[in-house]
Amino acid sequence: MIDKILIAFKSIGKNKNRNFLTMLGIIIGIACVIAILAVGDGFTKTMTKGMGTHNDKGRVTISFQASSYDDTTSGFTQNDVSTLEKVSGVDHVKLDSSNTEANAKIQYKTKHESTSLNKSPKHLNLYKGVGTSIDNSDMSNIFISHDLASRIFKDESALNKPLIIEGNVFIIRGIYNISDFNYRPDIYVSKDVFKQLFANQITQDIARIYVKPDVNKKSVGKRAVDQMKKFGEDKQMGHYEVSNPDQISKTFTKMLNYVTYFVALVAGISLLIAGIGVMNVMYITVSERRKEIGIRRAFGATSSDIRSQFLIESVVLCVIGGLIGILCGYGLVAIINAFLPFKAIVTGYSLAISLSVSTAVGLIFGFIPSNKAAKSPLVGLLKEE
Amino acid sequence: MLKINNVGKSYGPFKVLKDIDLEVADGEFLAIMGPSGSGKSTLINILGLLDQDYTGEYLLNDKSYKDTSDNLLSRIRGDQLGFVFQNFKLLTTYNVYENIEVPLVYSKTEQHNKHERVEDVIEKVGLSGKEKHRPSELSGGQQQRVAIARAIVNRPKLIIADEPTGALDSKTSTEIMDIFTKLNQDGTTIIMVTHDEEVAKYAMRTVYIRDGKLYHDAKDVFKND
Ligand SMILES: Nc1ncnc2c1ncn2[C@@H]1O[C@H](COP(=O)(O)OP(=O)(O)O)[C@@H](O)[C@H]1O
Ligand SMILES: [Mg+2]
Repeated sequence: MIDKILIAFKSIGKNKNRNFLTMLGIIIGIACVIAILAVGDGFTKTMTKGMGTHNDKGRVTISFQASSYDDTTSGFTQNDVSTLEKVSGVDHVKLDSSNTEANAKIQYKTKHESTSLNKSPKHLNLYKGVGTSIDNSDMSNIFISHDLASRIFKDESALNKPLIIEGNVFIIRGIYNISDFNYRPDIYVSKDVFKQLFANQITQDIARIYVKPDVNKKSVGKRAVDQMKKFGEDKQMGHYEVSNPDQISKTFTKMLNYVTYFVALVAGISLLIAGIGVMNVMYITVSERRKEIGIRRAFGATSSDIRSQFLIESVVLCVIGGLIGILCGYGLVAIINAFLPFKAIVTGYSLAISLSVSTAVGLIFGFIPSNKAAKSPLVGLLKEE
Repeated sequence: MLKINNVGKSYGPFKVLKDIDLEVADGEFLAIMGPSGSGKSTLINILGLLDQDYTGEYLLNDKSYKDTSDNLLSRIRGDQLGFVFQNFKLLTTYNVYENIEVPLVYSKTEQHNKHERVEDVIEKVGLSGKEKHRPSELSGGQQQRVAIARAIVNRPKLIIADEPTGALDSKTSTEIMDIFTKLNQDGTTIIMVTHDEEVAKYAMRTVYIRDGKLYHDAKDVFKND
């Protein structure tokens, strides 16, 4: 076996340039495979590590997901809290909300609209107007987004204009920009106004269950969800599940998935192209070496010896490409790490996968040419010069 | 050593070999002569188990290999036969040592014996010191010595040589024939194709092929004309 691998190395060495070009596709493909797996592994590791050290110690969170997006009222009720507190292992339960934003109907002159609304943050950079926040001293002050301003007021200046929100009159004191990176609602009101008019809109869709000491959080969470499925007041409106407190925001996960799919696509395509390249180069090799095949067959090589010789050559070619690809993959991971909020890591498992994939490409795409070499009639081969 | 009865071969309607009978005894040195295109290579390809597509009967050491599997035929070629082809047929990208080693790759010879075997035959054909040379760095005579060394490295009982001196001058031919004679004296059966009378003289016996028919005596070759 070792001498056969040496023969393969020798034959590949005879045509370095051609073979390097063939390897290029494998190099790119495997580098992508390494990168995908590194990002995936890094992501998982960050998540699991986060779970261990999270300040969520001693409590488990279950969330309610409404089946309809329009449904803003269903969630956990005080009765649900009592139900949950009866579950064994539960110490006490607090309700919370994943969504702090409200919806409001607004009106200016004859224009009506429904927009998102929230209490003012402590600090906001205004695009027009003065101040950085709305305090409770003047409850009629609001800030609105530039988008909303241009929708409602068109070319007029919106500053200091009145705006009717749910029947109450407010005065626009400032206009802010919304960037793509920083989500904001369309209207900010003071804290007190939000509490009085809109807090009831905020559904309590999260129940934080504090467990008794030395109780398994996981099983408590499971029992709690089971209870809610049976007795939850809004069980018809959606479903309950144990939520992972360390979940990185959905958009990020989604983005990561898209990147992964894209890179996987690149990896798949380059490996396919690489495979076809390998097949091509093996066909060329086989037809160039008909004389060699004839000689070997005359001196005792069986057709399976010939097949395995070319298969080994094809696999060695791909594995060399795979090894270079792994090195490039490390480089790629280093570059990716400059942009990721967590650290992508190359594991031994992903090295094994990469080598298996390269071997598989060599075997699959080398098979037909190797078979052709093995099956050529001997007398014809020996006529070659 | 071998015996053929009524062997024929056709390419479509064209009969290359017609009803050939031939017997070769152990230890014999047989020359096959004939003009080019007469079917000499075709015949020895059959004798060398390289071509199974023929009619009639062929017994090698009293055994027919007509229905033998391709794998077993390969093994028998590797273990019992040694080929010296027209135009040397060396691997141009391999050096002398590696060329001679080829038959050992497929034989059951112990790894540690292989090196010894190769060095042994290199010495036998007078190429000591040339192990690392490529065929292109050697003269025609030296290349043919490599081919002979490769043919005998597995210690075959039968050597089949197709025009071994075809590409060589007469002085070099003599040197090559001396090697063959020596091998024959050591007990190896040799069947050699040639169209050179001088070279055929080294053989114990000569047969003639013309238009696919085999003649055991030179007198008979033109009898039917
Ligand atoms: N594959 C083939 N198809 C058709 N004819 C062939 C083939 N191989 C050899 N021949 C013909 O068979 C005849 C004998 O060939 P060969 O045995 O090589 O002759 P020699 O070795 O005596 O010069 C030649 O006429 C040649 O043209
Ligand atoms: Mg010939």
